[in-house]
Amino acid sequence: MSAFELVTPRSVEEAIASLRASDGTGSAPLAGGTDLLLDIDDGRAAPARVVSLRRLPWRTLDWVGGALTIGSTLPLRSLEDDPGVRAQLPGLYQAVHAVGSVALRHRATIGGNLGRSAPASDLIPMLLALDAEVDLVGPSAERRLSVNDFVRASRRTALAPGELIRSVRVPESRPSAYVWQRVRLANDISQIAVAVAYSPSGRRWSVAVGGMPPRPVLLPEVARGLGNARPTDPALRAAGERATREVTIAADQRASEEYRRRLVGTLLGRAVRSVDVAEGVHR
Amino acid sequence: MTAASADLTVNGRRASFTALPDDERLLDTLRWRLGLKGTKEGCRTGDCGACTVLVDGRSTLSCLTLTREVEDAAITTIDLGAGDREVDRVRAAFAAAGALQCGYCTPGFVIALAGLLKERGRSLSLDEILDSLQGNLCRCTGYAAIARAAALAREAAP
Ligand SMILES: Cc1cc2nc3c(=O)[nH]c(=O)nc-3n(C[C@H](O)[C@H](O)[C@H](O)COP(=O)(O)OP(=O)(O)OC[C@H]3O[C@@H](n4cnc5c(N)ncnc54)[C@H](O)[C@@H]3O)c2cc1C
Ligand code: FES
Ligand code: FES
Repeated sequence: MSAFELVTPRSVEEAIASLRASDGTGSAPLAGGTDLLLDIDDGRAAPARVVSLRRLPWRTLDWVGGALTIGSTLPLRSLEDDPGVRAQLPGLYQAVHAVGSVALRHRATIGGNLGRSAPASDLIPMLLALDAEVDLVGPSAERRLSVNDFVRASRRTALAPGELIRSVRVPESRPSAYVWQRVRLANDISQIAVAVAYSPSGRRWSVAVGGMPPRPVLLPEVARGLGNARPTDPALRAAGERATREVTIAADQRASEEYRRRLVGTLLGRAVRSVDVAEGVHR
Repeated sequence: MTAASADLTVNGRRASFTALPDDERLLDTLRWRLGLKGTKEGCRTGDCGACTVLVDGRSTLSCLTLTREVEDAAITTIDLGAGDREVDRVRAAFAAAGALQCGYCTPGFVIALAGLLKERGRSLSLDEILDSLQGNLCRCTGYAAIARAAALAREAAP
């Protein structure tokens, strides 16, 4: 017997209705399945109905000026392959490239990454630093939330029952970088990671840290300390020290508190130095 | 329904099942229903790459893929006979470089590399190839011979 019933709706309305119809017995949307199927195997999730999103028209990538809208079911590999992402959002390219392996990225999606909301997600810190937003569709109205408001904790998001992530919107192109530390290069998750982006329109930095429970976080004070252009070496060192103090560093099975504390400033320095603020181009 | 009929296209052949459970993984359908034992199970958690197959030419972890999700796709496994340009070329490169010992990881490596050549062709640098193979684990060879095979397969690209 199958652990669940799989349905494959052909329209968004049908998908929302299928998710709703099994309320009570439990339902879950399926995108690439690289998180959900493992959760089901391990008994962390036991939906009676799994709703495949593969026939929905969301495998899209649209540039309007410097703004990028990414369909939630676009495989990460397609996002990584877009020349615009490489050139205009280098940090996002690096973050996507950091996820799993090529074969994993052929199926894994950005919607699934946000839906899982893992503390060690490689995409969430970068999306935070890029001030990205999610567009949700559901039984009632559509709504737009910042990624910061959408992500709550591990496996906890702002999604209401029956609601789906339709797309993720990055409002502007930004010189940016994503650097991480892990044990194995591929198919491992980051022990700690730093995402930085520079907004040319706002002349300001954003900094986010990921890899630790309960969730990736923005560090606005650290970002302010970087000033409004390329920081001097002392300013960068001070920002690193501030980050070490401000991040609530936790230990888990992947790294000790001490190890992570030592790494935050180093990774921040590496990330900021690799961003070319003047050119708007990443080296 | 949780075990309806299903049709699958594997190595160019159509396969039909009268009752295929909704939660069945492609890896299990290949090995236990179709008897295509070339595709290996290493971890079943996405970590080792031994179960890699091509789905419409793109490398895919069959242990993390529901069979029903790829019903409309063309699936290629290592059990394919001769005739696929990239798979043939990578097999030849692995043989020439002596890039295997126990051979358990080899189908995954061959399929992952063949998929990469289909995806990118000659525009790939050797560094990119090696970076792209990070998702495949080998416990025997120490990877040096596998890297030589990758270089050979790349040079042989048309
Ligand atoms: C071996 C391995 C290595 C990994 N390495 C990394 C890594 O390096 N970095 C990293 O960040 N992650 C990693 N992951 C985790 C995972 O691959 C990613 O989180 C991936 O982006 C999930 O996408 P998916 O489409 O497969 O999600 P799914 O498994 O399909 O879904 C995940 C969750 O989101 C929900 N969901 C999916 N789509 C939607 C939607 N459109 N709307 C609402 N809810 C939705 C599902 O119901 C489920 O709860 C790894 C996983 C494995 C197995
Ligand atoms: S068996 Fe699928 S990745 Fe190991
Ligand atoms: S040859 Fe034995 S695992 Fe690779």
